[in-house]
Amino acid sequence: MEEENNIENLEIRTWKKKLVLSWIITIPIIILMYSEMIFGIHLLTSSVMTLVVLVLAFPVIFIFGFSTLKSGLKGFTTLYFNMDSLISLGTVVAYLTGIIQFFYPIQNYSGISAMVMAIFVTGKYIESKARGRAGQEIKKLLELGAKNATVLRNGKEIEIPISEVKIGDVIIVKPGEKIPTDGIVVKGESSVDESMISGESLPVDKLKGSPVIGATINQDGILYIRATKIGRDTFLAHIIDLVEEAQGTKVPIQKLADKITSIFVPAVLVLSVLTFVGWIIFGNLNSAIGSAIAVLVISCPCALGLATPIALTVGSGMGAKRGILIRRGEAIQTMKDVKTIMFDKTGTITKGKPEVTDIKTYGKIDKKEFLKISASLEKLSEHPLSKAIVNYANLKVYQKVTSFKVLRGKGIEGIISKKKYLIGNRRLLEENGINLSKFIQDIEKYESEGKTVMTVSEGKKVLGFLCVADSVKEDSKEALQILQEKGYNTVMITGDNERTAKAIAKKVGITQVIASVLPEEKSKKVMELQESGFVAFVGDGINDAPALKQANVGIAMGSGTDIAIEAGDIVLTKSSLIGVTQAINLSKKTFGKIKQNLFWAFAYNVVAIPLAVSGILHPVFAEIAMALSSITVVTNANLLRRTKI
Amino acid sequence: MKKKILIEGMTCASCAMNVERSLKKIEGIDEVGVSVLTNKAIVESENEISDDELKKAVSRAGYKTISIE
Repeated sequence: MEEENNIENLEIRTWKKKLVLSWIITIPIIILMYSEMIFGIHLLTSSVMTLVVLVLAFPVIFIFGFSTLKSGLKGFTTLYFNMDSLISLGTVVAYLTGIIQFFYPIQNYSGISAMVMAIFVTGKYIESKARGRAGQEIKKLLELGAKNATVLRNGKEIEIPISEVKIGDVIIVKPGEKIPTDGIVVKGESSVDESMISGESLPVDKLKGSPVIGATINQDGILYIRATKIGRDTFLAHIIDLVEEAQGTKVPIQKLADKITSIFVPAVLVLSVLTFVGWIIFGNLNSAIGSAIAVLVISCPCALGLATPIALTVGSGMGAKRGILIRRGEAIQTMKDVKTIMFDKTGTITKGKPEVTDIKTYGKIDKKEFLKISASLEKLSEHPLSKAIVNYANLKVYQKVTSFKVLRGKGIEGIISKKKYLIGNRRLLEENGINLSKFIQDIEKYESEGKTVMTVSEGKKVLGFLCVADSVKEDSKEALQILQEKGYNTVMITGDNERTAKAIAKKVGITQVIASVLPEEKSKKVMELQESGFVAFVGDGINDAPALKQANVGIAMGSGTDIAIEAGDIVLTKSSLIGVTQAINLSKKTFGKIKQNLFWAFAYNVVAIPLAVSGILHPVFAEIAMALSSITVVTNANLLRRTKI
Repeated sequence: MKKKILIEGMTCASCAMNVERSLKKIEGIDEVGVSVLTNKAIVESENEISDDELKKAVSRAGYKTISIE
């Protein structure tokens, strides 16, 4: 990472040095040339003056311009031409006219060649600075990680560089310090500012057992943390990789610009030759040389080639700062066509932390016994609902369960002391031939309160219900309202039963609900909705991966390290639906900027090149226009930052 | 397989296109993304492609490989 930063800083410094030196020499050339041209003052006799200009221009072209010439002229051997090829040819030919005119009467462009190179170098300097600014947020991510860590080794606190921390090390983090790497709190309590990772402004409370993320800042207490992930495996490292990789991905709209960029330089070389020949036939040699040089130096593939990636860089940087990671550039273009946004319920609209709210038993079984059986069975499942029950029961000793099975989307089954138990939704019990008609009224009552009801049965006998509810996130309603006002069709999808789902949907203002969907069916439901337009799917990325993939835009969200960062086209590291509205907004604004940039880049070349061909533009003005074109595109992209997300 | 190549000498958008074009010529390569902004190329392929082969492709287009990871 440091290597990369160094390359960029070195680049800016080198351009700056060349810029200063080039102008120190070029300004006297300008004074010499124009005092004669404009004021008619002859400072030197003409042949002496030509020699002086040639001597002065030499270092500008061949020393300060050396790397450009080397990179550009290589193109003539490898046939991989680039922007430098045009500048090299243009300036070298212009310089040579100064020598040729001693033997053959042609106009001398050698002074012009120095001016063109000096302007080129200036343009490059400004552009590299602006490019650096475009990536500033991403650079900040790179610098976010801690440099050192205080670890406990052999009972002693020692400070070591972060690279020497090993998994399992206990790290001590004092108030105000950066948490060096991902880990789990083993001792201490504190609140941690995670805004740099999630964009979430409120600090998060941490106590024993809480996961912490490297690069977040410990606020008020001392935390002892056991390192669980280091180096390239940390959450921050993953985010950086993801953001960087996104830079190289393509936005479809740039295809044409890329195609043009890839044939641009050879095409301009041919055009320049044609211009030269055309002017010789229909005009004169001097104009032919001037126009051909102007064509070479005015043409710049940079504006076209940079239009999209530079806007994408600024946009994704702005996103990263707010916990919105754009993984694939394509998503920002697709986003504008999205009509329907489908939300998974659990963990997306709701907090995803269900809690037991009611317990109802039938017959002579007492609640304690009922909970003991239920929790012993649920202990073996990883489902969030199971965890809620296990936490609620808080047993010291669990009963022994045999023949345990998870029935995905339905529930669980297992045997305790030779008795077979089922815990699950209505579908599970009905499939097992258990008649629920006597209990249906009770079930429906809880369901219409937005609770998920799990029925527990022993053999064919219903023992009772466990009701679990998952509260809605604070800003879900607001976010959904914003989206609906913008004209999006919002849909909630869940494995929960219809009544529970509708009760939750009502709370947040969603009218369309697709309930009782098995996990593997979610992507099919996305496909069905896609028949009437583009669909974005918002889910946790763990259970919803296929649906996220099937959707036109997949938005994965989660909090902290729980998140499946490899899923989805856009990843939200903060667990808030407002993030979805921001992501959509950011995508649209970024895409708008890309379109603007492409328009200017195309317009520039369409207008400028014919002007150069026609001989109207002097090579110096052509070069100024060229430099401005790429600076404009980069600066315009930087302006994206002014928009509110 | 996914590899990240840090490249020196890409000065403009057409340079990035050159590197991209050259890398795409490697047999078996699926996806190539080159960014002049990060000075990086990211290549993806089904089968392993040797670092040497990648380096060769970068230098064929006239640029220098600094590191591959």
